[in-house]
Amino acid sequence: MAVAQQNALLGPPSQSSRTLLRVVILLFIAGAAIASRLFSVIRFESIIHEFDPWFNFRATKYLVANGFYKFWDWFDDRTWHPLGRVTGGTLYPGLMVTSGVIYHILQALTIPIDIRNICVLLAPAFSGLTAFAAYLLTNEMTTSPSAGLLAAAFMGIAPGYISRSVAGSYDNEAIAIFLLVFTFYLWIKALKLGSMLWGALCALFYGYMVASWGGYAFITCILPLHAFVLICMGRYSRRLYVSYTTWYALGTLASMQIPFVGFLPVKTSEHMPALGIFGFLQLVGFIDYVRSAISGRQFQAFLITVLVATFGIGLAGLVALTSLGYIAPWGGRFYSLWDTGYAKVHIPIIASVSEHQPTAWPAFFFDLNILVWLLPAGIWLLYKELRDEHVFVITYALCGSYFAGVMVRLMLTLTPIVCVAAAIAASKLLDTYLVKSPSQTSTSEAGEKKAPKSADKTASPLGVSSMVSKLTIVGAMIVYLLMFVSHCTWVTSNAYSSPSVVLASRMPDGSQHIIDDYREAYQWLRQNTKEDAKIMSWWDYGYQIGGMADRPTLVDNNTWNNTHIATVGKAMSSREEVSYPIMRQHEVDYVLIVFGGLLGYSGDDINKFLWMVRIAEGIWPEEVKERDFFTARGEYRVDDGATDTMKNSLMYKMSYHNYQSMFPPGKAADRVRGVQLPSEGPVLNTIEEAYTTENWIIRIYKVKDLDNVGRDHFSAAAFDRGQKKKATKKRGPRVLRVD
Amino acid sequence: MRSLLSLAVLAAASVVSAVSVTGNRLLVVLDDVAEKESYSKLFGSLADRGFDITYDTPRSEDLQLFHLGERTYDHIVFLPTKVKALGPKLTPQILLDFVNAAGNIMVALSATTPASTSTVAFLAELGISLPQERTGLVVDHFNYDTVSASEKHDTLVLHNSKPVRYDMWDVFSLRDDEFLALPHTVGHTLGAGELLTPILRAPSTAYSYNPKEQTEAVDPDDLFAAGQQLALASAFQARNSARVTVLGSAEMLQDKWFDTKVAVEGGSKVSTKNAEFAKTLTGWTFQELGVLRVEEIEHRLKDSNETNPEIYRIKNEVHYQISLSEYRWDAWVPFNANPNDPPQLEVSMLSPFHRLNLAPEEHSATDRTRTYSTDLILPDQHGIFNLRVNYKRPFYTYVDEKCTVSVRHMAHDEWPRSFVISGAWPWISGIGATVSGFVMFCAIWVYSKPAAPLVKKTQ
Repeated sequence: MAVAQQNALLGPPSQSSRTLLRVVILLFIAGAAIASRLFSVIRFESIIHEFDPWFNFRATKYLVANGFYKFWDWFDDRTWHPLGRVTGGTLYPGLMVTSGVIYHILQALTIPIDIRNICVLLAPAFSGLTAFAAYLLTNEMTTSPSAGLLAAAFMGIAPGYISRSVAGSYDNEAIAIFLLVFTFYLWIKALKLGSMLWGALCALFYGYMVASWGGYAFITCILPLHAFVLICMGRYSRRLYVSYTTWYALGTLASMQIPFVGFLPVKTSEHMPALGIFGFLQLVGFIDYVRSAISGRQFQAFLITVLVATFGIGLAGLVALTSLGYIAPWGGRFYSLWDTGYAKVHIPIIASVSEHQPTAWPAFFFDLNILVWLLPAGIWLLYKELRDEHVFVITYALCGSYFAGVMVRLMLTLTPIVCVAAAIAASKLLDTYLVKSPSQTSTSEAGEKKAPKSADKTASPLGVSSMVSKLTIVGAMIVYLLMFVSHCTWVTSNAYSSPSVVLASRMPDGSQHIIDDYREAYQWLRQNTKEDAKIMSWWDYGYQIGGMADRPTLVDNNTWNNTHIATVGKAMSSREEVSYPIMRQHEVDYVLIVFGGLLGYSGDDINKFLWMVRIAEGIWPEEVKERDFFTARGEYRVDDGATDTMKNSLMYKMSYHNYQSMFPPGKAADRVRGVQLPSEGPVLNTIEEAYTTENWIIRIYKVKDLDNVGRDHFSAAAFDRGQKKKATKKRGPRVLRVD
Repeated sequence: MRSLLSLAVLAAASVVSAVSVTGNRLLVVLDDVAEKESYSKLFGSLADRGFDITYDTPRSEDLQLFHLGERTYDHIVFLPTKVKALGPKLTPQILLDFVNAAGNIMVALSATTPASTSTVAFLAELGISLPQERTGLVVDHFNYDTVSASEKHDTLVLHNSKPVRYDMWDVFSLRDDEFLALPHTVGHTLGAGELLTPILRAPSTAYSYNPKEQTEAVDPDDLFAAGQQLALASAFQARNSARVTVLGSAEMLQDKWFDTKVAVEGGSKVSTKNAEFAKTLTGWTFQELGVLRVEEIEHRLKDSNETNPEIYRIKNEVHYQISLSEYRWDAWVPFNANPNDPPQLEVSMLSPFHRLNLAPEEHSATDRTRTYSTDLILPDQHGIFNLRVNYKRPFYTYVDEKCTVSVRHMAHDEWPRSFVISGAWPWISGIGATVSGFVMFCAIWVYSKPAAPLVKKTQ
């Protein structure tokens, strides 16, 4: 659309001015992509968002401060206390290294820019590149010059991609989507040309992708699938052979250089399709050669023997290796892609993450808007032509749609191909109705303003080329596109630009009120606790505590050790007598919880509590039972009717400790759960309140030391309250002291 | 000049602190200040040892254990008082706070005066129980003093008292020919707490009864305690090493029981060891004895000069040493642990991976400390480990020293290179063969002249 407008002002352009125009338009698109991601910086400040980005930010700072090799061998002793984390070997370093390189380049150019600002603005900057990659990819699909520009524009502002790439969202996806699209572009290029050079380039960017995001497995599976579909369609060619084998051999070698990936490409089931297709291609290549050498009948017998034998041996080998343990079976996350209920039953830790939930249907429209219905049209248009590269788009779109429906987070991988297909459909429509009138051969690229005028002269009343239909279709399309732009802007501004570290609310007079409890609490920890004070909290807050408070944590968002998380879950969901020894053993100094009851903040720990119980129950089914937290009628309650297990759990006690003092007697209410609380608040003995933030969102408790004179904490607390020990007139056998 | 001055201050400070490790301000709480005369030898001995003694009664207005949150005394001695409770200045809470603030307390009881309710409540928190109604008298019809208590059998004569366990420090033990006289003793029982240690236990034939109520006989159900369960003097050491001792017989500290001679049935008259015992007991309570100090902890990589690094690698060889000294009356001397029960080093993460005996190193006579050391190989597990010496023995102050070190994994360049591993040679030669084969193939390919087309030849 943009290109059409530009061209209209200049009249029929020459080849070089077209190129110039394209560059200018692409620059504008990149500018728009970046600008629309800056809402959060303008509204709040240049701050890292959410949870994972805080770890990436911390890792980047470590990289910049200590250099690459230290980072490579980084043993992080400030997380997962006391296990520590081999951080250098368990992360995807692409993002941090990219930021580090940018930082050092800017330093070398004597531009003194803070590493934080690079991290904050990395995602918007790469979104501009993603738009460019989408342009290149689309240009490989169609001859229409406007489709690529449309795809770039869609890619730049589609909310499905913006959701993970606003300024401050410093996550792996920030650069990974660019790499994904660009790798696909290189793959298509290699396939089209049958070129080893492009195949090697594709492998190179595939390696970069592996270094950046766990989602590289998507490429690892989509490319073999594409190749397999092509072979099944009888489209085997030397081009396919050359490009695939080049990509696979070099790409696998490249991916194995990343410590976190290591030998996974030859050991896990997720990578087996790529290996299988590699072998299959050799076979097909060999058969192809044999066919040219021997006669038809012999060939048929030969073909059947070879195919059956190979498949039989290959399959048997795979099964045998898997059962012997040489090849890891499919991981839990993979199963949950086929059965959305799987994770909830078997791996609560995966199910507890909101972005692993199945997608709600409105989310598709929310994230993609008109692209949703342009996608099938684009697919159909490609299906009509069906060259090798079109097969790729169709395969990708089908898989991507399925996965996006299964997991919210995978909307991200669907978005690029939706943009490509939708751009093809839209450009076809616009091209048809704007320029393809019989009398208009000279100005094939005419713009929309000119088109109605010239259509006047032809004056044919019906059909595609009629003035009326052109006006209607083009007008409708313009309206839709404008609505798309406004929808994208609205979604970006309202849904995806909140840092979630800082909460914004509206005062009665309409002015913005910032709720800054998270940072208040983390700052308190930073300033008032020992440097090595261990903080226990639910794993959601681990990265933030590490990044903002700079204190060691027990568990964090890198959920590599389920048992350790279950230990924290058990400590939170058990009675104090059980929790205290656990906390002592793990040397916990402070416990941090999130409580939304006063403010009505629904993402608090009481609402997440059942996940803690479930995860703990997975390890200690005898000691923690989810059923005990529900009333006899199966309700999850926190008021007077709550079960004793609930009321005695550490989490409940910490949440409501002293809460009653905020209200007149008997009026204490929880605004999230919307219930009246018991008039008597819980009593804590083994821990004591250390800090509560302004809006009570974060509450920090200090774990008491062992009693100095050897009493248990309950009798010590009772003594401090002035309760006298009952004179125990013991009956029955005496308790004798044994020395 | 300044250094000279500070040296002088330091010297003065060391003179003052020579008395006890924790300070020399001693408060004696008794019924009537005049009563101190009967304990003159005891207090004289304490004053000689450098204590600054204040005498006060529980009724006194300006008695204060804390001023602006700081202790005003370092040690307290409670002698029997006739008041029912010790009053608002000496509530059980305040006494407990005093112990929590590392103050030492010695409670001396007597069967002739009921213990105050404050004392009973305070001791109950420590796990020490006194008889019902706060009164009780220990008698022993076999080990009594025939001189002073031939009728009532209420002056116990103890000898040959050994520590409750063979490997304990025998600071309070009595030889067979050493006698202690304990007149009018109140017995007490100890809870199961590990912070409590009996100093003197009653002979197996002794029992406790209430002289006011149980005049005729003692119902077995109402018996407070008997035999070895009945402690006559006990020591309590809080986790912060503050000490509390309970002595059942205050009178044994009086002057007259220091000089008197006692005799058991069928034995001759012998003089008591009460004076020595009182000195040891007060000395131990007020931290003049059995105070351990960690002088230095050093751990380092073997063959490295960098001490106490924060990070090691798995399977590193590490040398660990700790220097301990012990305070004996007025000087720090090297601490010699029981060779059968030496300090141990724990290398622990969640649970101990190693627990190693620390061996004493050779030392010269002039040393004031003794160094214990060991060499170890760190476990093959990365994580945050504590190098911990947790040495808690009865009658010694506690030593619990943790050095937290991170044990990291192997860095990428610390593994042996492939050519060092003999198992890798077939693969290395395979690589070599492939590479040279490829190069040779290329060379042949590049430098071989293409065969002339067959068609031309036939022509």
